[in-house]
Parts: sequence; C-alpha cells; structure tokens
Amino acid sequence: MKTGKRKLTPGRTALWIVLLIVAVIQIFPLIWLTDFSLASSTEMFTKGLLIIPEKIQWGNYVKAFTDGHFLQYLKNSALINGLAVLFVILISIMAAYACRRMQWRLSTTVKTILLLGMMIPIHATLLPNYKIYNMLGITDTIWALLIPYIAFSLPQAMFLMTSFLDSIPMELEEAAVMDGCGIYRIVFQIVTPLLKPSIATVSIMTFLNNWNEFMMASTYLSSPKWKTLPFSVLEFTGQYSSNYAVQFAVMALTAAPAVIVYIILNKHITKGVAMGAVKG
Amino acid sequence: MKKKVLATVLSVAMGVTAITGYGTVVSAAEEDVTLKVFSNLPDRKNGQGLVEQMIIDEYMEANPNVTIEVEALDEEAYKTKFKAYAMDGMPDVVSVWGQPAFLDEVLDAGVLTELNEADYADYKFVEGSLDGFKKDGKLYGLPRNTDVAVFYYNQKIFDDNGWKVPATYDELLTLAEDIKGKDIIPLAMDGGDGWPMAIYLTDLVNKIGGNTKEIVSDAVKNGDFTAPEFKEAADLLKKSADAGLFQDGYDSQDYGTAMNLFTNGQAAMFYMGSWESSMALNEDIPEEVRNNIRVFTMPVVADGKGQANDIAAWNGGGYAVASDSEVKEEAVKFLNYMYQPDKLSKYGWENGVGMSAQDQSEYMTGEETELQKQIVQIVKDATSLSGTPINDCGPSAFKTSIESEIQSMSNGTGTVDEFLDTIGKACK
Amino acid sequence: MKKLYSNKMVIASLILPGLLVFVFAILAPICLSVYYGFTDYSGMGTAEYIGLENYKNLIHDSTFWKSLWHSLLLAVGFICIQHPLALIVAAVLDKLQGKAEGVFRCIYFIPNVISVAVIAYLWKFIYNPDFGLLNNIFKAFGYTGKINWFDSRIAIWSVLIVLIWHGFGWGMLIYYTGIKNIDPVLYEAASIDGANHTQTFLKITLPQMKSVIQVNVTMAIISALKQMETVYLLTNGGPGDSTQFTANYLYQQAFKAFKYGYGNAISVVFIIICIAATVLLNIVFAERSEKRKAVRR
Repeated sequence: MKTGKRKLTPGRTALWIVLLIVAVIQIFPLIWLTDFSLASSTEMFTKGLLIIPEKIQWGNYVKAFTDGHFLQYLKNSALINGLAVLFVILISIMAAYACRRMQWRLSTTVKTILLLGMMIPIHATLLPNYKIYNMLGITDTIWALLIPYIAFSLPQAMFLMTSFLDSIPMELEEAAVMDGCGIYRIVFQIVTPLLKPSIATVSIMTFLNNWNEFMMASTYLSSPKWKTLPFSVLEFTGQYSSNYAVQFAVMALTAAPAVIVYIILNKHITKGVAMGAVKG
Repeated sequence: MKKKVLATVLSVAMGVTAITGYGTVVSAAEEDVTLKVFSNLPDRKNGQGLVEQMIIDEYMEANPNVTIEVEALDEEAYKTKFKAYAMDGMPDVVSVWGQPAFLDEVLDAGVLTELNEADYADYKFVEGSLDGFKKDGKLYGLPRNTDVAVFYYNQKIFDDNGWKVPATYDELLTLAEDIKGKDIIPLAMDGGDGWPMAIYLTDLVNKIGGNTKEIVSDAVKNGDFTAPEFKEAADLLKKSADAGLFQDGYDSQDYGTAMNLFTNGQAAMFYMGSWESSMALNEDIPEEVRNNIRVFTMPVVADGKGQANDIAAWNGGGYAVASDSEVKEEAVKFLNYMYQPDKLSKYGWENGVGMSAQDQSEYMTGEETELQKQIVQIVKDATSLSGTPINDCGPSAFKTSIESEIQSMSNGTGTVDEFLDTIGKACK
Repeated sequence: MKKLYSNKMVIASLILPGLLVFVFAILAPICLSVYYGFTDYSGMGTAEYIGLENYKNLIHDSTFWKSLWHSLLLAVGFICIQHPLALIVAAVLDKLQGKAEGVFRCIYFIPNVISVAVIAYLWKFIYNPDFGLLNNIFKAFGYTGKINWFDSRIAIWSVLIVLIWHGFGWGMLIYYTGIKNIDPVLYEAASIDGANHTQTFLKITLPQMKSVIQVNVTMAIISALKQMETVYLLTNGGPGDSTQFTANYLYQQAFKAFKYGYGNAISVVFIIICIAATVLLNIVFAERSEKRKAVRR
C-alpha cells in the first residue's frame, strides 16, 4: 500500500458499487426469508419488499423447531456426513498410497478405474441402487445413504490424495523402512500427517457435497429415524400447507447451521475449496 | 377386597412386563406388533390427516402392544414412493386409489392382500363405492371418501361486489372478467400438479357429453381421444386459461400455493375436491375467509348434454393392506377398526372433511358448517356421477402423459389436437 | 524395501475397500441398469426381455431430446452469463484489499452452503407472481404487470437464474484463487508499461487464467448435464416438459409412469453421454493447450 489510507477515486467507487450490488443480490433473498419468517401468514401478501411484522412471531420458529424434528434431523445429518467424511478420507488415503507408492502391475489401471467414478452421474444410479438396497434390506438404514455418499465422494478424494502424495518426497518413508516400520505404520503414522492439507480439503468438499444431498435421501429413506435436515423443509410444506410463515421459519432454521458454521470457519473452507478446485 | 387383590395382581403383572421391557412376550396375543402405515395425508393437525391420526392414537391406546408408525407424504410424492415400495417392501397399511391408473398395475403385481367382502356387510358402504377397489370380483381395498369436484368461493367477496354464482359456463367467464377488473384473482388453480386440471377437464366433458364413464373408457381402450366431447372440453379449458380465469403462473403453482391464494382472500374461487371442505374449520385460515367459504359445481355448458345436477364425483382414495405384510392379521384388524362406521366416517364428518364412502346420515347434528351442508345437498341432488377422473382411467404411463400434456395444452405451448393425439398414444 | 512395497497381501488390503465401494455402489448398479434396460420391467412383477425396444423408443421420445437440449441451454447459460460475471467480480475483488475483501468473499459464497431443498422452496416463493420478491421489486420500480416467471417459454431461464445464484460463489472463488496465483511480476511490468485496468485484465489476467477457465467450463457443462435436484423441487420438469432434465425424466419414468425398464435404459444412455462429454472436453482442451505450448516454443 502506497498511502496509509486509500483514497476513494471514481474508479474505486465504481468497484465498490459493483461488489455491493452483487453482495445484495446474493444475500437479499436470505434477508427476505428471515423477515417473512417472523411475520404472520396474512401479512405476506404485501406490495412492499420487506414487511415490518405487527408482532414478531417467534411462535413460527417454535413450531418449526418441534414439528420439524429439527434436532433429530440435524443430528442425523451431522452423523451421516461425519461418518462419510471419515470413511472417504481413510479409504482414499489407503487407495492412493497403494496406487502411487506400492509396486504392482495394475496400479495405474486401478487408479484410473477408481477415478472413472467422477464421470458417472450420481442420479443414474438411483433406480438400480434402490433395487439393490431393497434386496439387501438396507433401505431406510444409515447404510443406504453412507454407501453412495462415500462412493461418489471417493473419486475426487482419490484424485486430490494422489496428486498431493506425489509431491511428498520418498525420503521420509525410506528412512522409516530402514527403522523397520511396516507399511501400515508408514501409511497411518508417517504419511497421513503429511497429507493434512489435502485431508482438510477432502473433508470440506465431501461435507459440502453431501450436506445438501437430497434425492437419494428421499428415495432410500422412509422413517424419520435417519432422515436428514432437508426433510424438515419438505415435510413442512405438506404439514403446514396453509401456513406460509411457518414454512419460511423452517427454511430459515434449516439453512442456519450450515451458514453459521461457514461464517465461523470461513477462512478454512475458502482455502479448502480453492485448493480442491484448482487441483481438480 | 377381591377387586383390590385383582388390581394388585394386575398392576404387579404390568409392572413385571414393564420391567422386562419390550422384547419379552407375555402371551402370543399380546406380542408386540409394529404396524407401518403409509399415508398420503401429511397434515396431521387438520382435516383428513387429523382424523386418521385420531383413529391411530385410539387404536394404539386400545391395543397397547401395537405401535403404529406413520410415514406421510404429499399426494404426488406419495404416489411416486408407493411405486418404489411396490418393487419390494410395501408398508403394512397403505393409502390407495380405487382407480385404474393407480390400482391396475398394483393388483397385477399382487402387492395388495385380498379382503373378505362379506366382513363389510354392515359397514354401510354407499352402493357401488367398492367397485373401484375390485378386480375379478375380489376386493382389495376400501374407499375413504366420496369426492366431488367443486368451485369453492368466497361469499364475502362475492357479496361485497354483487356477484352471483354463475349458472352457465359463459357466465363464469364473464364473472371472471369482472373479478379481474377488481384486481382479484378469479379462480385459484393447482395447475402445477396435472391432476386438478385433468379433473376440471373431466368435469367439462361431463357437462358436454353427459355420459362420461362410457366416453372415457372407450377412448382409453382404443387410445383415441378424437371424440368431439374431448375436443370441445379441451378447447374450453384452453379458452378459459387464455381469458385469465386462473391465476398468473397457475401451470407451475402447487396445491399449497393455489389454496393459499384462496384462503388469504387473494382469489375469489378455488377449484378442488370436496375433501378440502375442512377449510371451514382450519384455524390457520383467517376467520373472515374461513366462515365465508361456499361451493358450487361446474356450471352447464351451452348445448351440453350434462345438466346442472350431473356432477363430477367418484369414490377415490382409501386404504389397503400389503400382501407381504409380516403382521397382516393385525393390519387387517386395524383396517377394519378404521372403517367401523363410528370411526373414519363419523370423525370425518365431525371434522368437516366432506363425504365419506359410508352412510353418514346418522351423524348429522345440524351443527355442521354451511359448507358441509351444501356439499351433502349437492350429492343428494345429483342426477348422475361422472365416475373416476380421466387421468386416472388409463395406465400410469397415460396418467403421467396427460398430467404433463394438459399443462402444455392449456398454456398454449402445444395445440389441443396435439394434446389429444399424445394422450391417445400413451394409452397403448 | 522392494519386497516390502510389493507385498501382495498389503496391497490388496489397502486397495480393497476403495475397490469394493466402487464395485458395489457404482459398477453393480450400472450393470443392473444395463440389464433392466433390455426389459419391459414395470417395477413390480416379472421382467420380460425385449431387446433394444426401449432404446428404439428413446430415439423417438421427444421429451428425452428436449431434456438434453435443456442441458445444453443451461451449459450455455453458465458459460455465457455465470462465468464471465464470476470472473469479472473475482478480478474486481482482487483489486480491493483489506478486510472488505474477505467479507465480500464470504457473502458471495453463503448461498452455496444452503441445502438445495431450502433454495428451491425459497425461489418458488421469490418467483410467486402474487407476493413473490421478484415481482415486488419490479413493482418498486414502477412496473405493475405481473410476470409469470414459470411461463413455459421462460421457465428454463428462471431455473437458470436460481442455479447461477446458487453456484455463483463457487465459480467466483475458483477464479479468485486463479487470479491470486498469477505472478505479481506480470502486473508490475504491465503497470510500468502504463496499461490501464481493462488492458491488464484482457492482456494478463485472462490469458493466465486459461487453464482455470477450461476446468470451469468443463465443470459447467457436466453439471448442466447432471442437473436434477433443483429442477425436481422447483418445477419437477413443468409446465409441460419445458424444464425437463434427463435425470429427472428417468426418475419420473421409473417411479411415476411405472416404466422401470425404460427408466434404466435412459440411465444407461445418460451415463454414456456424461462420459462421452467429459472425455470429449478433455481431448479438446488438451489439444488446444498442446498447440499453445507448441506455439510458445
């Protein structure tokens, strides 16, 4: 910076205006959502952009919270996504190590096959997977979501892990072998800590992809036992079809956890996504 | 003294069962049973869903060993998931529709269990109402409602503006002009789902041709919808849409949106089945609207064969039991419990959800909402019923096709002839 | 050392979990789809082998072709609207240093972390002709007519707007990172030469970002092909089939029209199209970058 404080030149003003307009476009629908969620249904048919509720209707949120199974679905979402992330990291590190460091004939072929999954549209497997899970009796269990979530996050994770692994020098591992370490110890105690940045990226990408997933959840699940957060919204549109305000409240409530976590971890998530995107 | 001893024994026994927990079986009859009910009524606090839930709660209270788990989805989502379930693992008690589009393939696959018709001799089912649920003379399900397609209207808006209930279709279109002039939506239509419009079309065919059942079943059988009744009805539907009878964007708005326009006083009329008559008792709806809801049926069409009292009505929704249910006995028992005349039918009546498929006359108290009385009168005065709406008369591929094509036809993306041609092909 | 690294048992134990997941969750369903694609299975009862019948029907199925056309429109929309916008905003944001930069970046990305279910329902309300936000905005500017955003002629663009809005932060972030990775020396040289902002953007930023743009374009096309959830919740393909997409269509055919076999045939073609598109794009971009390298040499 040349001066202590940048002056507001006309150019910079224009810059600010552009950025502010985009920011308003991105954020205003959410403000609108929150605003309407605090009004009563009858106030919604307004000509104005925002409404000042006659009385703030916190009751909307109470209904959304209790009737929307909010806590249970949040817990399910967190658990399923957490487990998916864990498995994806574990499996991808092992597979990446096997394909890039171990010496065997088919290593490149297998790696290509595993990466092929990236091209398969996830929704094309909805019909056959439903059939398979039915036959195995795992519909409406946590596995019906975990398996596809892991499977469709794995290729990208594999990709990130292998490319990161390639950039780690072999010396450390060679030294470990000299000390008499087995492969498993090398993988989990020596290499895994070195992979930390890509583990972070993989976690964030996997979480973001699956947190918002809804199609498979709605096809494979039926009882509330494992339903994930998006279901709060879906169930409400039927349950409170004649009460819009409550529907707005449940949407705001469902969106809140992810937004709050994002704002808190903003820097890390941005970094992770950026790294994943540039490499991917 | 004896009583006291007995009570002590009983409470000890119950205590023991409580301590030993769920898994232990006291006697075979008391075995813990979990019934899965799959319902198309997601709103459990109003109308039909409330009635269903009341009976379920009562049943669980009367049979403490039975736990009933309900999965409820909106109509469209329900039907989709039902078909997925039909592949494997149907829940024990399910909502079904006694209509070919829904039931034919389901029965062919044998996923529903046969019921013993003689069991229902004194359940007071309205004559003919079981027909839709039969195949080869065997009964597979029981009807819940007698459904009538009606125009709900807001009497206060009508009175304030001096509008009258239209007697002919032309009057309806003129009325729509007037209503629009006041910046009010004439008729809220759930056009995002295809079926309400298909019912509307059926209603028109019924007013034009008179003998709907025959015309429709011939057309579906031959895959040929070129009969003049269909053409005229479709033309009329398109004309009405063009004239702005429905709200803007009706072809993409769902059930809830359409209904909310009406219940919030934004629309003067709302076209839907009589099952929504519980609106009159729904506390989420502003009082000045709720108390002023009245109905009329499709007005007559000029030169049409159908008279004012030939109405679009049918016995549609109901319940059935899955054939591969592991607790079939209990499921049938529960089904029969629901249909005891003093359950579904009575509670339904008391909660204003319209007409059941059973004789309800003994539950009339005179305290009913105006809306309810009106609908009863409409059915009483009816000279003929249209039977199953067109979209539900053919195979599911036909249903999927007509419900999508009717949107394209009414909004002008496709022509009327293309529409009739495409839905004809889908029958084959 | 060599022996340790070629121990078959160890290799197998490391690779097996990944391979199993792949076989079970991706390969097996595809095989099953291929199988059912050759049958008239309705979803219940028995399946009859009918050869290529489903595929023949697919060729004449106008809705299927429309769904692919819609994917193409969407891809064009992404490439021509979302990406230029994202790139420009990223470049502008790069000029703005300090705290505000981070705040803006954070705001732009927020829609991305919200579930599709919320987004779809929220936009349903935003587009509502009677009390929706969008028409109220137009009203605020004095336009009194009601715009029907899901009119069958423009519905696909309304869907596009939602997708652009939802995915904007992601695209922006990628470009932003790309710009940050450009060697600052290049900019310094440019400013010594007296280039203005527009010139620097066109002469330095854009060429330097070529590979990032290529990746983004590939992703845009693929995600346009794969589009399902937003459409399923927002319009379910309607009105008529004016916003139908392949994934949504195969779902409807299988679970609504009771044509499970046909739905699977669509799945198979869908997979082939996605793979072909990915491979093709990679070839095209690989060739071009090789040419460029050759020229540089």
